[in-house]
Amino acid sequence: MFENNRYLVWAVGAATVVLLFAAPGLVNNYIIFIMGMMCINALMALGFNFVIGFLGQLVFANTAFFGIGAYSYGILMVHVGLPFPVALAGASLAGCVAGLIVGLPALRLRGFQLAIVTLAFNQLMHWVYLHSGSVGGGPSGMAMPEATIFDIHFTDDPSKYLLILFVTLIGIWMARNIARSTMGRAIVSVGANEFAAAALAIPPVRYKIAAFGLSGFFTATGGALFAILLGRVAPESFGLSQLLLGFAMVMVGGLGTVAGPVIGAILLTAAPEFLRNVPGAEEVLYSFLLIGLLLFMPKGLFGGVCALVPSLRERHRGALS
Amino acid sequence: MLGQLIVSGISQGAIYALVALGMTVLYRTTSVLNFGYGETFMLGAFAFYVFLKIAELPFAIAALATILVMILVGMALERFIFRPIMTRAHLLIAMMTIAISFLFRGTTRMIWGREVLPMPPVFDFPPIFVGNVVITSQSLVIMVAAAVLVIAFFAFFNLTTLGKLMQAASHSPRGAALVGINVPLFSSCMWALSAAIAAIAGILVAPVTLLYPDMGAATLLKAFAAMTIGGFGNLGGAVLGGILLGITEQLCGGYISTSLMDIFPFLVILVVLLIYPSGLLGRAETNRV
Repeated sequence: MFENNRYLVWAVGAATVVLLFAAPGLVNNYIIFIMGMMCINALMALGFNFVIGFLGQLVFANTAFFGIGAYSYGILMVHVGLPFPVALAGASLAGCVAGLIVGLPALRLRGFQLAIVTLAFNQLMHWVYLHSGSVGGGPSGMAMPEATIFDIHFTDDPSKYLLILFVTLIGIWMARNIARSTMGRAIVSVGANEFAAAALAIPPVRYKIAAFGLSGFFTATGGALFAILLGRVAPESFGLSQLLLGFAMVMVGGLGTVAGPVIGAILLTAAPEFLRNVPGAEEVLYSFLLIGLLLFMPKGLFGGVCALVPSLRERHRGALS
Repeated sequence: MLGQLIVSGISQGAIYALVALGMTVLYRTTSVLNFGYGETFMLGAFAFYVFLKIAELPFAIAALATILVMILVGMALERFIFRPIMTRAHLLIAMMTIAISFLFRGTTRMIWGREVLPMPPVFDFPPIFVGNVVITSQSLVIMVAAAVLVIAFFAFFNLTTLGKLMQAASHSPRGAALVGINVPLFSSCMWALSAAIAAIAGILVAPVTLLYPDMGAATLLKAFAAMTIGGFGNLGGAVLGGILLGITEQLCGGYISTSLMDIFPFLVILVVLLIYPSGLLGRAETNRV
């Protein structure tokens, strides 16, 4: 149904982008804030997906990367006083380096041991934020200075949203290209069967590390944007619940795809807003979604929809079966 | 001070050992690493609270009822949630256990909200003095109960026919199925056993800690640390690792710094897995293609 209408697909895509950029004029600031969070969560979920979806490893370091992004941005802005685009790039880079470092144990450990090490790393970073003293502000965190470039000030939610949307769209476009590149396919092949990949002259070590680096890069960019949107970073944003949220987003949308995590991020950022007044309802909703999907649609919503639409079926090949 | 720290370390460690043992039983026999086990333990503690404080049953009956309820929960999980997906990738099964942890934690939070439940001590006989070391009645009960449970468990696993069947089935589920062992029934029993151990750990820990829905996550990480020290997937190692973790954690808090105590288990995990991944009693894994 879609293959004959490539122009239609492009037109719909372009109209969506225009609408997204026009949103601050159409809806109120509360919704704009939520949309900003959707973008940030989409970047985080995309980053998470590089290791959990493409590489197929159970890795829990995404909250650590997210926090490293936010805190690096904060430290570069507050203590070094860099202009904000440089601080943003620096934060992404810091996340990438953190990813490369966390990737090293992944060469030796696999499966559950890797999951446990990265879980421990997550909690370790949370402790570091809490005890960061004057550098990171300790338990109360630190306030972000205003992000300014030339004469544009990103102070209110609509302007911050436009900035975040812009960076996120670039991120999604990059992730899509990486997924289709030699590197993306090599990572998937290493994830599917490391030994077979090695036999085909695809060095598993290099691509495992690459997946972690990419994961750190995208997630930390999300973290830095999170710091911009909230105007403040504090340890409580980077706890276990954030980790599980990112996890649920990737799973609900669909592992090993680019569209999946984005869809998951949009859905799971919006849903809790309706359940704010009931403590725990959010978690129960996530659990029902996850259990239902794992039982009946293990490739996630996007994968499930792709399996139903013939022209999309070929496009979607998840890392898991 | 040293003696006192070691005693409280053993009593803490006994809980870690039980939780680690429950996870290891399930992991060894069904190769499911239950990331929702901390929440199973939490649910056990809450169920005990309900039976003891709200239904006002006597201690022994409340404990039995808790164990029974948790066994049913474990069997229901196996039958309706995990059996349909047992042939899928390990990653998906691990994710399902995380989904279950959401469910348990969310449900508890919906019922109890954000309050923290204190529980009055169940046993109040006077503390015992050994030299200048004080052993409180609670920690004595925990230590004795854990020791009895662990001894009974290992006796059952190593000496009875059913225990040997379990060892066989855990060693090779397929081979066990071929020689006529009912593997689905067996894994149902293992889920029940694992849930029962979580319930007992919950019953033991309920009187000495505050109950809150997030209590499981912290314990889960400590159980991981215990399993890692002892050797991942080794039953004796889980118990040994739990006790060692409890003692070293207390010593770290007593002699180095109490703020370091919060991350002590994570440091242990990182150091052990990066330097000596097979742990104290574990064997190095071989890769099969």
